[in-house]
Amino acid sequence: MSLFGTSSSFGTGGTGVFGSTTTDSHNPMKDVEVTSPPDDSISCLAFSPPSLPGNFLIGGSWANDVRCWEVQDNGQTVPKAQQMHTGPVLDVCWSDDGSKVFTASCDKTAKMWDLNSNQAMQIAQHDGPIRTIHWIKAPNYSCVMTGSWDKTLKFWDTRSPNPMMSLQMPERCYCADVVYPMAVVATAERGLIVYQLENQPSEFRRIDSPLKHQHRCVAIFKDKQNKPTGFALGSIEGRVAIHYINPPNPAKDNFTFKCHRSNGTNTTTPQDIYAVNAIAFHPVHGTLATVGSDGRFSFWDKDARTKLKTSEQLDQPITACCFNHNGNIFAYSSSYDWSKVERKGPALEPRPPPQASHGAVHAGAGTGCRFQAWSRPICVI
Amino acid sequence: MGRKKKKQLKPWCWYCNRDFDDEKILIQHQKAKHFKCHICHKKLYTGPGLAIHCMQVHKETIDAVPNAIPGRTDIELEIYGMEGIPEKDMQDRRRVLEQKTQDGQKKKQNQDDSDEEDDDEAGTSYQQPAAQQAAYVPPMTQPGMPQGMAHASYSGIPHMMPGVPPMMPGVPPMMPGMPPGMMPMGGMIPGPGMPPVMPGLPSGMPPHVIRPGIPHMATAVPGAPPGMPARPVIPPATTQSSVSKPLFPSAVQSQQTASGQSPSASTTEATKSTFPAYTQASATSTNPSSSTVAKPPATVTSKPANLATTSATSKLMHPDEDISLEERRAQLPRYQRLIPRLGQATMAAAPAGAVGGIMPPQQPGMRHPIHGQYGAPPQVMPGFMPGGMPPYGQSAPMVPPFQGGPPMGMRPPVMSPGGRY
Repeated sequence: MSLFGTSSSFGTGGTGVFGSTTTDSHNPMKDVEVTSPPDDSISCLAFSPPSLPGNFLIGGSWANDVRCWEVQDNGQTVPKAQQMHTGPVLDVCWSDDGSKVFTASCDKTAKMWDLNSNQAMQIAQHDGPIRTIHWIKAPNYSCVMTGSWDKTLKFWDTRSPNPMMSLQMPERCYCADVVYPMAVVATAERGLIVYQLENQPSEFRRIDSPLKHQHRCVAIFKDKQNKPTGFALGSIEGRVAIHYINPPNPAKDNFTFKCHRSNGTNTTTPQDIYAVNAIAFHPVHGTLATVGSDGRFSFWDKDARTKLKTSEQLDQPITACCFNHNGNIFAYSSSYDWSKVERKGPALEPRPPPQASHGAVHAGAGTGCRFQAWSRPICVI
Repeated sequence: MGRKKKKQLKPWCWYCNRDFDDEKILIQHQKAKHFKCHICHKKLYTGPGLAIHCMQVHKETIDAVPNAIPGRTDIELEIYGMEGIPEKDMQDRRRVLEQKTQDGQKKKQNQDDSDEEDDDEAGTSYQQPAAQQAAYVPPMTQPGMPQGMAHASYSGIPHMMPGVPPMMPGVPPMMPGMPPGMMPMGGMIPGPGMPPVMPGLPSGMPPHVIRPGIPHMATAVPGAPPGMPARPVIPPATTQSSVSKPLFPSAVQSQQTASGQSPSASTTEATKSTFPAYTQASATSTNPSSSTVAKPPATVTSKPANLATTSATSKLMHPDEDISLEERRAQLPRYQRLIPRLGQATMAAAPAGAVGGIMPPQQPGMRHPIHGQYGAPPQVMPGFMPGGMPPYGQSAPMVPPFQGGPPMGMRPPVMSPGGRY
């Protein structure tokens, strides 16, 4: 078993994929670019569930809008619809039947967007910006879960203005993920809470963080029986922790690995350590993708504990990513994430982002996240 | 404390002074960090072995062991695991360790690079909640558990109810034991189980349909506890229903056996990562986080702690304050202009006129400062809706809302101020 050690950058291997010698740092992977991207950084991406025929991609941005594109089989993207909030949109999610999209924003509200009628209705209200939103479909109830910087986790029946339930968290919610019957929330001050959602959501366990830096993103993975069994947690320190909820041997089964750092084994120059902005698991193969502030995305196999691939470096950080429902398409967004700010003082407004945001869709032949399968990228956003 | 016969109690690496639990892990570490060829990544067994390999295979000489601390880089010294360590260094190490343990045990080692110290702390801190849980588990497990989960919950509920308010933090780990057993019963057990767990919820329950299939439960809830013993219908359904839910029922087993032991074990080990992937370089940047960890978590309103984001060998590409990038960005004035102030939030569904447009009409004054940043969207619109209004092409009713207005019917409130863009 090869452990996560050195990171051999995929670029140095140099297969024929990136043919030209002049690397286009804007789209070095030659993936298909999505048309009509938002005007400010993209904060979140979500593909439609399998209940919808075709692939629809939703992206929320710091320009207060949520956009919907249809991603066709030939890789072309068609803008379909758009909704607005009054503050930057921080998270989006789909309902399980693909008819509604839920959006969470800094304007402290969450909205339900009925795609058939193209109407959006407010369904949630917090005292602070809402950072995460997820749809929970349980056998005996359905609801929307919102996590906010006001340190509460609220559950909403979309028909009522009052929450069905409100759970207090120790700190502001920074990221969350839901795979029924499990939900994981990572908060400020390295808090980590697992909730169980059967019958009604309740706190299951608070976990001592396996990471030593601020939590940034979390994604639940499933076992061979398709049950949620653990999660991957990313921090601002270029590191991801794989943590199982009830492993047979925690010392051996749980581990962390480094990623999104500037130089691999070269220990002479100081290493730049970048934040892991998002983690997504391939729905079929169980491999995971991480995207970072360094402008790269990487694919990993957590069971073999190996890195599968790292992309070329883009000119901007990658802020969000997701797989479509069958794992054939990988979408990622490249936009400024404010990580490189002068450290002079809070009064100084940071430089405006160098250019508008871009999203990319990267597709494989569907046989998995292996080197060979990615030789023919189909779409890029 | 045990035998001091073992060399220094815990195996440690002579090249970089790191501690390990096991000599096997130490050897793996040495092979990956110190005895790995930088050209072909082949892992050798010893320092001299690496030197010979580089000479023979790559015709290159190396004069220092990679990733070794200064003073311990001798390539000629044949060290394998704990064998071959010069006696003098062994004694030095023993002395240093004794000094450390004398100086107030583990508290002092907050700043230490080694991961093991941290997870010892995590372990000790975790024992307390486990101990608390242990105090509460016996009343629940003894009567009920052997007979199956449903019975346990039955007998457990009366125990729980009086004790619920003080043990709220301890309750959650045990709660999952009930629901998995209850699922086949269509949620009847959770009915009585809910009031103790969510004191605030029952008041809110009747108006909300949490369980659309069992609306009668709302009225049955208050009468549930006295009615509990009279539910003979439950037992047949409560055989080993854990099969469908491996995740949380295993937590039930952990309750039965060692109460809080397994959660504590899993989390203490989780913080330790003895893999070679965890180098010193990154460990140095963990120092600053100890300052944020030591603080109590409730200091949000005060100025956020600063991370020390640079160290000798690495630099964290993140602003200094320990708030998330999104929080930092959301504080900027340009992102705050449109957020409705308190009292102006629109709760109800958007009026029919604002088809999709969310800009509240009652805040025209807030729009004026917007320029540049938000200038683009209307121009994007023409390309954005290429006539294919119904995204899903499913039903005709969807089309009329768009055909009535101008093509940009989605955002009439925005378009009305006209030449702003």
